[in-house]
Amino acid sequence: MNLFTLIISLFYIVSSAFCANSELDKFERYQSLSRSTPIDLDDSLYEDLTSKPRNYHVAVLLTASEARYGCILCREFQPEWEIIARSWNKGPKPDGLRMLFTTLDFSNGKATFQKLMLQTAPVLLLFPPTIGPFAKVDDAPARFDFSGPISADQLYVWINRYLPEGPKPPLARPINYMRLVSAVTILMGVITLFTVMSPYVLPVIRNRNLWAAFSLIAILLFTSGHMFNHIRKVPYVTGDGKGGISYFAGGFSNQFGMETQIIAAIYAILSFSTIALAMKVPRVPDYKAQQVAVLIWVGVLFGMYSFLLSAFRAKNGGYPFFLPPF
Amino acid sequence: MAETPVDALLQGSTGRNTRGLLRIIILLTIAAAAVSSRLFSVIRFESIIHEFDPWFNFRATKYLVQNGFYSFWDWFDDRTWHPLGRVTGGTLYPGLMVTSGVIYHILRFLTIPVDIRNICVLLAPAFSGLTAFAMYLLTCEMSISPSAGLLAAAFMGITPGYISRSVAGSYDNEAIAIFLLVFTFFLWVKAVKNGSIMWGALAALFYGYMVSAWGGYVFITNLIPLHVFVLLCMGRYSSRLYISYTTWYALGTLASMQIPFVGFLPIRNSDHMSALGVFGLIQLVAFADFVRGFIPGKQFQRLVTAMVVIIFGIAFIGLVALTLSGVIAPWSGRFYSLWDTGYAKIHIPIIASVSEHQPTAWPAFFFDLNFLIWLFPAGVYMCFRDLKDEHVFVIIYAVLASYFAGVMVRLMLTLTPIVCVAAALALSTIIDTYVLVSRGPGPQAKTNDGTSTEGLRSTRNPVVGITSYISKAIVTSSVVVYLLLFVAHCTWVTSNAYSSPSVVLASRMPDGSQFIIDDYREAYYWLRQNTPDNAKIMSWWDYGYQIGGMADRPTLVDNNTWNNTHIATVGKAMSSREEVSYPILRQHDVDYVLVVFGGLLGYSGDDINKFLWMVRIAEGIWPDEIKERDYFTARGEYRVDDEATPAMRNSLMYKMSYYNFNALFQQSQAVDRVRGSRLPAEGPQLSTLEEAFTSENWIIRIYKVKDLDNFGRDHGNAAAFERGHKRKRATKRRGPRVLRTE
Repeated sequence: MNLFTLIISLFYIVSSAFCANSELDKFERYQSLSRSTPIDLDDSLYEDLTSKPRNYHVAVLLTASEARYGCILCREFQPEWEIIARSWNKGPKPDGLRMLFTTLDFSNGKATFQKLMLQTAPVLLLFPPTIGPFAKVDDAPARFDFSGPISADQLYVWINRYLPEGPKPPLARPINYMRLVSAVTILMGVITLFTVMSPYVLPVIRNRNLWAAFSLIAILLFTSGHMFNHIRKVPYVTGDGKGGISYFAGGFSNQFGMETQIIAAIYAILSFSTIALAMKVPRVPDYKAQQVAVLIWVGVLFGMYSFLLSAFRAKNGGYPFFLPPF
Repeated sequence: MAETPVDALLQGSTGRNTRGLLRIIILLTIAAAAVSSRLFSVIRFESIIHEFDPWFNFRATKYLVQNGFYSFWDWFDDRTWHPLGRVTGGTLYPGLMVTSGVIYHILRFLTIPVDIRNICVLLAPAFSGLTAFAMYLLTCEMSISPSAGLLAAAFMGITPGYISRSVAGSYDNEAIAIFLLVFTFFLWVKAVKNGSIMWGALAALFYGYMVSAWGGYVFITNLIPLHVFVLLCMGRYSSRLYISYTTWYALGTLASMQIPFVGFLPIRNSDHMSALGVFGLIQLVAFADFVRGFIPGKQFQRLVTAMVVIIFGIAFIGLVALTLSGVIAPWSGRFYSLWDTGYAKIHIPIIASVSEHQPTAWPAFFFDLNFLIWLFPAGVYMCFRDLKDEHVFVIIYAVLASYFAGVMVRLMLTLTPIVCVAAALALSTIIDTYVLVSRGPGPQAKTNDGTSTEGLRSTRNPVVGITSYISKAIVTSSVVVYLLLFVAHCTWVTSNAYSSPSVVLASRMPDGSQFIIDDYREAYYWLRQNTPDNAKIMSWWDYGYQIGGMADRPTLVDNNTWNNTHIATVGKAMSSREEVSYPILRQHDVDYVLVVFGGLLGYSGDDINKFLWMVRIAEGIWPDEIKERDYFTARGEYRVDDEATPAMRNSLMYKMSYYNFNALFQQSQAVDRVRGSRLPAEGPQLSTLEEAFTSENWIIRIYKVKDLDNFGRDHGNAAAFERGHKRKRATKRRGPRVLRTE
């Protein structure tokens, strides 16, 4: 009896192994090609891998990473793609969910590119299985077009949307030890340098004029709209359509890079005249010189403020106030 | 100089009293000016709550006044965020409502019958008077000049940067928060100067009040530790600093944790970690300072210093590790987006979509601050002259706040106080130098000033004073011109830009007379009077608070954007085809849909202009179903006319906006005045909704969601049947039956 069951079970094992041989073999064969990185394909392998029936998911990145094709996006994305493949292959996978990450480079797969009528690279194709528990009725591959630089996280989210529900291995970026070590080295270097140089550096750091200059420059930059330029990435100047340059953008909430620099300069001149009037002029000992200085600074202040008001009137149509010269 | 009767008043103890009285009178006048310049909107329109958020605050205040404090604290609001509801009592800053509630009860106790609405409307102007006073106190701590404080108070009273958030009717958290901000800073500076526990405790108390009033308290939470940190780095540790900071931190943190919305954030959130870190650091420094007194050896002292640095470094690494491991929450999104300016646009479109979170262009700075903007750097420079502890505070505040104001228009509000302080310092120096009639102190008076190498370059030489009357006259008159211009500017800006309630719009008729557009209130009162008490209204989130406040009907989403998915659901319903939207509307029990449409009048803040944000927010949740690209033409234009994309023309929002719009234009083609484009000859057809109400100027359109069809047809067929179309025989060609899936 015991022997009988043994024979029966053996028979079952052998037969089941025979039945599943072709597909199971295919998946395992390909998986054994590369344990962690994406598998490199050529035309024939691509045909074989994507032919029906499939009992696995397969993601093919069609790319042109060689330098002579000049595809910057392809080369930038290559390491990200390897991160995805490695995270998947090393991470814990749900039972029965089988997935292959592959790369088909243009230099190995010209025929495939022609067959798919691809004009651009990279393109990602995700083939669902045709048999097995996760098979889909519609076996056409899902296609992801790269419209710009894409991070691994974004693409991984996209891939996950086409995979069945359930836990997936998390995306793990390898720790960049090189960067860590270099950061620590640089930090220590800076500390050492500071310790050694402190007799020379400290007077500079403690210099009040230096700090005053830094603070004033920062304040002038920020209050003249530098952060707006930074965030909105406005042009520096534009043409006015008649061959000239227009320095001031039209509209209240609009500006050019050059414009903010002009405004910052105006503010700086105005502030400096104020400082001069308040702090420098009372310290001029000579009677005549003092009077001339007052006249000059008051004149500069008045003229600049007038110009500022006229610039503001240009930006804000209904503004009623102005000062004489401009 | 001859004795005059005026001199008798200005000298000796009589003089001191006279000057004190004058100062009080001036301050009262400033307060009166501050209050009265904020009343434009009440005079022009009426005593009405403005904009969006104030309507929620008003509603919450009414709830507080009617139901008492404890039920307000535990308030669960089932009339918003249908069907989720909102734990309102635990998710708001109660300071504003409690303040007006207290005022209301005091007035009632004094048997003065005042409507709670009027208290709410006039709260912001009243507090602006107090802000001016707090500003006076703060600036007086910075300068020995008697004019600086008064100037700062006057600037603060009328500068548009502050008026923008505190006109009558703008019943928002900022209304009291700016007063609390300035006053807390005053108490803090006072505490640092005196090293007194009393001032530190008072600062903590007002900090607690500030926490209860506005989310911007994080600014104080980070600015004060930064001040202390910089002082420590400058080697200015003193027992004054230790006493004031530890008092403030311990009491202030305890006080802030009493607010349910804040709760344990002060010890669990990165926003508050700098305060905790500096608290630890100052203990170490104090310990080192204490030990140093007992150990004379230089080596030992160096050892102690090294110990302090190492322990601080280890503690810092520990904080970073705790943050990475998730024990301490990372920076909150709103705060983080101030540093990484691209962050909100990618990750939190709902924050990026708000117009007051946009970066600030330079005209906005000048518009809000006028000539203070260029006095401001001069004032900061003058702070470097003495560079006492409180001046360091001004400098740090100035640099940080100008950065924040540059990143977000809204934070202009936190910049305004320090601009007023610095500008007043600069201007008072000028006035003190030039307005004195006597010939100044003379060369012998101040030879010791600024002779040390420590000082600024511009203060090396001794002060001589201004010797010629012509110079004095010229400078004085130009300063007077600038000041007059400033007052005119402030009045003009307040009257033109900041006094519109935005619930009621005003425009000019061709003959110059005023034309009041009151569509919002018309529509909300229509809802109030013609719909059942619990009819659910769906609209874009901007109008949620107003519907709750004015129409008193449950809404799906409102301006408290706590649930992004729910907002995205509304966005999806608005931006999808009717066949997709109708099930969503049914699932959320929606009875009425409200849209804002400005095409007839040229009102640019309407829903079609906000539509792309709805699409974007919906796309964030359903990237497969909603794609922003579909709403742009092939050439990348956003159009509503003949060339509009199918996704655009079939979206519920488009249909609701332009439904029946053609009928207004008998012969000619319909024109959208906002987008300036001609609409298709054939208007959109609606089958699952029916028009319920359209306001006088078509700004608000309300649609009723149809019930299921009596014959079980789908609404498209039913509508086609009613239009008289024959049912197409093409139904025979349909494919194999498939199981209907949801």
